[in-house]
Parts: sequence; C-alpha cells; structure tokens
Amino acid sequence: MLVLKAVSLGPLHGYGILLRIQQISASLLQIEQGSLYPALYRLEQAGLIESEWGTSDNNRRAKFYTLTRSGRSRLRKATAEWNLFSTAMGNVLAALPEEI
Amino acid sequence: MLDRIRAVVRGFRNRNRLGADMDDEMRFHIDQCRQDLIRKGMPPDEARWQARRAFGNLSQTQEQARKAKGLPVFDELIRNTAYAVRQLKRAPGFAAAVIMTLALCIGVNTAVFSVIDAVMLRRLPYPQPERLFDVVREFPSGAITSQDGFAWEGLKDGNSYTVAAIGGILGVNLAAGNRAFYVHQQRVSAHYFSVLGIPMAQGREFDLAEDRDGGPDAVVLSYPIWKRFFNADPSIVGRTILLRGSPFLVVGVSSASFIPQEEVDLWTPLRPSTKGEGGGTNYQIMLRLKPGVTVAETQAEVQSRGAAVFEARKSSEPIHVRMSIAQFDKTDQAGLRERLLILWAAVGVVLVIGCVNIAALMLARGATRRREMGTRIALGGGMGPLIRQLTTESVVLGLMGGAAGLALGFAVIQALHRWIAEYGVWQDLRLDSTVLLATLALTLVVSIACGLAPAIQAARVDVRATLLEGGSRGVAGGGSHWLRRTLVLAEVALSLVLLVGAGLLIRTLLHLENLTPGFDGTNVLAASASLQDARYADTKNINRLFRDTTQTMEKIPGVQGAAVALHLPYQRWLNSGVNVRSGTDSQDREVGTSMNYVTPEYFSVLRIPLRDGRLFTDQDSSSSAPVVVVNETFARKFLNGHLSGYLVGKDASRQIIGIVADVQQQPGLQRSGPLTPEPVVYFPATQFPTAWFQMAHTWYSPSWIVRSAGAPNEELSRGIEQAIASSDPMLPVAEFRSLIDERNSALSSQRSNAWLLGFMAALALALAMVGVYGIVANSVVERTREFGIRMALGSSIGGVIRDAVAPGVILAALGAVLGGGLAAVSVTVLKGLLYGVQPMDPLTFVLMSVALIGVSAIASLLPALSLIRLEASSVLRQD
Repeated sequence: MLVLKAVSLGPLHGYGILLRIQQISASLLQIEQGSLYPALYRLEQAGLIESEWGTSDNNRRAKFYTLTRSGRSRLRKATAEWNLFSTAMGNVLAALPEEI
Repeated sequence: MLDRIRAVVRGFRNRNRLGADMDDEMRFHIDQCRQDLIRKGMPPDEARWQARRAFGNLSQTQEQARKAKGLPVFDELIRNTAYAVRQLKRAPGFAAAVIMTLALCIGVNTAVFSVIDAVMLRRLPYPQPERLFDVVREFPSGAITSQDGFAWEGLKDGNSYTVAAIGGILGVNLAAGNRAFYVHQQRVSAHYFSVLGIPMAQGREFDLAEDRDGGPDAVVLSYPIWKRFFNADPSIVGRTILLRGSPFLVVGVSSASFIPQEEVDLWTPLRPSTKGEGGGTNYQIMLRLKPGVTVAETQAEVQSRGAAVFEARKSSEPIHVRMSIAQFDKTDQAGLRERLLILWAAVGVVLVIGCVNIAALMLARGATRRREMGTRIALGGGMGPLIRQLTTESVVLGLMGGAAGLALGFAVIQALHRWIAEYGVWQDLRLDSTVLLATLALTLVVSIACGLAPAIQAARVDVRATLLEGGSRGVAGGGSHWLRRTLVLAEVALSLVLLVGAGLLIRTLLHLENLTPGFDGTNVLAASASLQDARYADTKNINRLFRDTTQTMEKIPGVQGAAVALHLPYQRWLNSGVNVRSGTDSQDREVGTSMNYVTPEYFSVLRIPLRDGRLFTDQDSSSSAPVVVVNETFARKFLNGHLSGYLVGKDASRQIIGIVADVQQQPGLQRSGPLTPEPVVYFPATQFPTAWFQMAHTWYSPSWIVRSAGAPNEELSRGIEQAIASSDPMLPVAEFRSLIDERNSALSSQRSNAWLLGFMAALALALAMVGVYGIVANSVVERTREFGIRMALGSSIGGVIRDAVAPGVILAALGAVLGGGLAAVSVTVLKGLLYGVQPMDPLTFVLMSVALIGVSAIASLLPALSLIRLEASSVLRQD
C-alpha cells in the first residue's frame, strides 16, 4: 500500500520509491531495501503497477513504475479501509476511562 | 483482471531478458544509494560497502523476486520438458514404442475424422449454405429427395424461396475440332446456379424459354472444359457447339471456383414437366430462402403446396407422405452416415486399445523407475512436482506421437483412398483447422489419460518398501501386475469385437461375390457409348448402328460373338410397370419389372441359359410379330412358372416367347440386398419403340459386349473402338470394362466396409498382441531366477516354457470370452450392412476367437523362447 501510494504520485524507479516512502513518512517508516523488489514484482504480477525502462535524473538507464488502473482503484479502496481502521483504532486508543 | 493477464503474458514473453533486467535494476539501486551516501560525505569505498549492506543479499533477493514474478511455473515447465526429453532419450525403445503406437492410433483417427469432416461437418462450398435446402418427401419410414414433375409444378412458383430442379448425370458426346469426346452432362433447370449462389465466369445461366419443352438448345460449360476444349475463349458464349449430335448455343461458363457434388463437364436444360421422366420421381428439387424469410415460413409454404399436390393426385389410399425441406445434400447421406459412424467407432476402439497399450507401457516403465521415484520422494521431492513431471513426460510423448500421427494420417488417407472415395466424398480431404484441432485435442486427452494413471501409481510408492526391495531382488513382485493385466485383458477383448465385426463384413462380401452370377463373364469385354444423340433419335438409326458395329466386331480375329444391350448384369436396370395377360389370369395385371433391350447374340455372348421357349433371332425385326423374353423370376412371379401370356401395353401386344435364367443385378424396386435377380423383360432392340429408346438413353449409356477366345487385351479394345469408328467416327467409346469390373462397382461399398474394418481389426489385433507380448516378456524377466532354479532342480525346458507362456494364453482366453460377449452386443449395429450372414454367425465368432487365442499364443511364445538359452548355473550365480 505504501508502494502504491508512492507510485501514485508519479513514475518512480525502485530506489526512488524507497526515498519517497522515507520522505513522505518523514523517515518514520524504514523499508528494508532487499524486500522492496520482491514486493514490487508481486504488485506487477498482480497487475497493479506497470514498469518501463527509462532514463533517470542523472542519465542512467532505470526501470520506472507507474500505477495501472486496477492499481489505482486498489489504492483507493485500501486507503478508505485504512482510514476507517485507523480512525477506529484512534478512537479506541483515545478512549478515556470516564467516557465509558 | 486484464492488467493481470497482461502482466503474466509480458512476464512470460520477457522471461529470457528478465534475469539481466533484474540485475540491472538492482545494481542501479545500489549505485544510487552509494552516490547519495557519497554526497552526504561518506568516503567512496565506505559508501559502496554501506550501500551493499543496506540492500542485503543480492542473489537471495533475486530468487525471491523471481518467485514473486510467478516465473517458477514456466521455469518448472521448461525444466520438466527438458528432463522429459532427456529421460526419453535414455529409453529410446520405450519412447519409440509409445510414439509409434500413438502415431498409428492418431493417424487412423485423423484419417477417418478428415472424412467425417469432409462429409458431415464442413460447410458446403456455396454461399450461405444454411439457407439452401432440398425438398424432400417425408414418409413414416424416412425421407427421400426424389421428386416428380407434379411436385415441381406445385412448388416452382414459391413466394418465400427461389427453386431449381436437378436431373441425373450421364455421359454425352461433345464434338471439338474434328473429334468427339465423351463428357459428363448434368441436366438442370433455370435458376440452378442462382439457387446454389454460384456466379458465372462468362455469360448467363439458362432462362425460362430454354428450360421449356421445345425451347432452344442451350449449354453451360464448366470452367475446366472451357479451358480444355475451347482455350478459355470468351467469344465462345453466343456461339454454337456440336453436342449430342446437334448444335447447342453456349450461353455461359460456370465459375472457376464452383465445385459440383459430382463430376460434371457441362449442363443442359432439364425442362422439368409432368410428362416423360417427370411422370416418375426422377428429379431433385432444391431451394434457397429469399432474404429475410425464416426457415419455418418456407417450411410451412412447402408443406401446404405439397399437400395440394398430393391431394390432387390422391388415389383411394390415405396419404401418409408430406412435403418438407431438409438441409441441402444431407438427406441422401443417411446410409453413408451410418457407415461412417461405424467406421469411426472402429477407429475409436483402435484408439482405446492403443491407449491401453501405452498405459501398460507406462506402468511397466513406472515399475522400472520405482527406485528413482522412491529416491526422489525420500529426498524430499513433493508428490505434486513428481506427478507434474510424469504428466509432462507423457504430454511430450503425446505431442511427438500426435505429430507423427498427423503425417501418418495423410499417408493412411492416400493408402485407403480407393475405399474412402467410395464414401462419396466430393469435397477434398484436407487438414483444415477442424481436423487439426480435433487431432490436437485427441492427442492431449490421450497422453494425459495414459500418463496420469501410471503417474499416480508411481507416485504412490511406498518409499521404504521400494528402497528395501531394491536390495533383495529375488522375489517376483506380484502385487502391481493386476492393473496391467486388466488393461491387456481389456484390449484383447476389444480387438475381438473388431475382429468379429470385420469377419462378418468379409463374409458378407464373400457371400455376394460368390452368388451364382447366372451367366459366364470370362473373356467378355464391354464398351459403352452415349446414344443420347440427335443422330440416334429413332429406332431405325439405332438398329443400323447396332447391326453394322456388331458385324464388324465379329470379324475381329479371335472374337466369338458380339452384341449390344442397354444393360449388363450387375448394373442397375431400367424399371417400369407393364401389363401382363397370362392364360392363368382372367384379368390383365400391372406388374413392376426391369427392362432391357438386347440384340439377338446377347444371350449367347454372356452364355445365359435358355430355360424354355426360344431366344431372339435376326428374324425378329421391326416388321415381324412383337415378342419378348422374360427371366425365371418374372415367370415364377407373374406367369406361374409357365411359358405363356402376353405383355399388353399402349403400343402393342407382345408375345412372351422364351424364359432365360436369372442374372445378378442391382435391385431398383425392392432393397433386398446389393445384388439380386429381379423380374426382367428382354425386348429385341429392333422392336424397342423410339420413345423408349430416347428416354432410356437420357438415363443410361448402352454397352457393346464381345466374347473373345482368350483373355481380352489391348488389341481387342482397339478393334472394338475401330469397329464403332468405322460406323460413326464421331461416336466416342466412354470406357472399357470387364464383367468383374461391373461386379466390383456394384459391391464397392461392401468391399470398402470389409477392407476398412478389416484394416482396423488387424491394427487392433497387432496392438493387443504387443500388449500380450509385453506381459509375458515382463514376467519372463522377473521370473528368470525362479525358472533357473526349477531347471537346476530338474524341470524340463518344455515345462518351464509352458509355464512362461501360460499367463499370455490365459489372458487371451479370458479376453476372448469377454470380447465374445461384448461383440454379441455390439454387432447389432452392423445389421444393416450384412447380407447372407447373421450378426450372431457362430462360425465367425468361433473362427475369430480361435485366431485371437492362436496369435496370442505365438505372441506369448516369442519372449518365452529366450528361456531355452537360459543357463541355470549363471542365473544362480547372478546375485
């Protein structure tokens, strides 16, 4: 889901995705680099993202990932579910004894 | 979902490039990371190390990534295929046996299926064939396409369809240059080509003025004839050509792509009417639905119009026939379809036997690979991969066998062409997509079915037992044999079913071939020529031709006699009703009979014996008293066996002057068999009325017959040709035939039945014997030690061999009993094809069972004979 979100902001290569996740989570979430690629390929295999070879900022050949249509809808659904879950969790955890 | 499929496909397509891609991608990642670290001030060496460490184990990541990409499925498939090919290379004998068996089975199935495809499945090569129909008469017993002129009159002005009538096909004389050629003419009505939907290459088809009695003579040429005789000259349209001895206007040339159902060189107008041939059911009527009309609408219209026709011609009996429509070209196939389905069932049985054989081979191979399997499982190989591996092996084998079978299938078609052609296949046999798909499907089903059962059995290996048994290989393991033996038992039983079926068909053919012919056809040569010709329009010209030519032929050295007749024995004869007045009846009786005109020498040339009265002589001429000769069947049925009575008809009263012996003919009226004597009236050619000649010659070409002292040769046929040419140089001889040829063409379908089913039965027997051989060979190998010990203990070699052969013979005997029962049930489907033999013919059953057991004994003896060379001492030393 993190990867989908990162890719949804624009085409990115693998390393870029890593940086983007660190950046938008303000370095709170660290992804282990080695597990990124299997995750990427699983998503690609499931048809949620697509890849294409292109050129990076420093003119090197790199593989860029973009979100597919079904990837976009999955992200939307996952986001909604997460929001519901986190709101619920937030409410639960914020509950004070006197409110019960 | 679509995205997902696309991703899988892309993954597969790029699978070769993928390893490199992944490598590139990950290296790029590490590089970027290193550079970022350098930018943050880390020394380059430290940065490289740090970047690598952050990434983790590169090759492990790649392996995980591959799995994530779903590649292992393909990887495994390819690995399995490569392994399968290696395995098969290591067992070439086994692979060859399986591939050959498969090739044989799939070959014959492909061949038969291509016939079924051409006859039953493929669409007709005409536009919108689903809107093309035959008008049929539906009786409670079935439908026929034959129609008469009254039906035509009632149906020709339909509202919902366009309609055309078709007559028969007969050879006629076409003059081109200064020679005449015998070509095939079909008579068709106006609109024939437009109903079929066939455009004309040149000109037009017949119009209504030409398709009417007394209308101008017109002809449409086929494209090949136009090219062959008229150099594809477009100006031929509008010119006249000499056809049937008179000028015909060429109005058109049919399309080059037109495939008629039978060989036709040119078409002339049918001129359907209710008179002459139209008085009987001698037409076929076909129609095409008009655009926008439904089948039901036309069906209703044809039915009501047909009802009116039958009502108007109603006799006192109730009408139990109705007019209907049926898909074009399908009605007359009923008998053909039955025979094809029987043939299909036969090749199906061959296929099953082949499969059983292959499964047995696989089982045997599975047994030899038990240790391999056991080891693999013991080392932690899962059941799933193992079964997938074995299935891959059988599919690889299957595909190889299928490819070989496809090639063989075409060889089979070529080899059996003579008998397949007899099925009336007029569309060419070819490997179209339907046949290819069917073969592919068959191959996959067969190979998976054959491979799976043994695979499961092999996978259900008891690891401990297998590995242990390997250590002490003394005892013959009996437990796993029952499955293989059951399989072989089944194939022996099935092959007996085919053997009995083939035996019955062969006995039918022999019975028909050995029917008393009623004449002597040895040393007789026949030649036919078309007299549907303006120059032979009356009895005087015809008889002059007959007299001149036979007189010339009799002068050829070695010739003992020459005659002309409308029909020869074994042919299908002209039928008609005649009125008989016999002394025993007080009233004239109308009876149905075959008719033939003959010159006086006919009976002596064919040596047909005279039973009573006298034969024709040269004195029976157009001016003498009218006479006829009848055959014994006619005399028995209509004259109480005595020479008496008259034929009375419209034109004359003819005295019956003689009775001759019956000859075999193809029946026209009753369907009692392919050959049978019918009641016959012979007319002297000199007294055959002109109108009858004309009608008879539109349907049949007469034959000249010559008896020579020795066997007919080239010289004789040249002499006959010259004799006819000396009377009329523009009268071409259509073909020379012997009376055996006539018999063979009369029995062609019985012959093809016998040969094709015989071929399948032989194939089935051979496959079953391979199975029996395998069983015995296997058990001999396994029991070698036992036999060795017995021989060492003093058993005779004969006793040991008897014991080795026993399982094969017992299996065959059991199979014969089982197959006999199965055959007794299934031979009923052959009932309609058998003559002179009962489906439950005990002789065939016994003979075939004995043959089966005998051949099985030989197949069992072959492997057992190796025991003769067995040295007891060496066996005992082996372990």
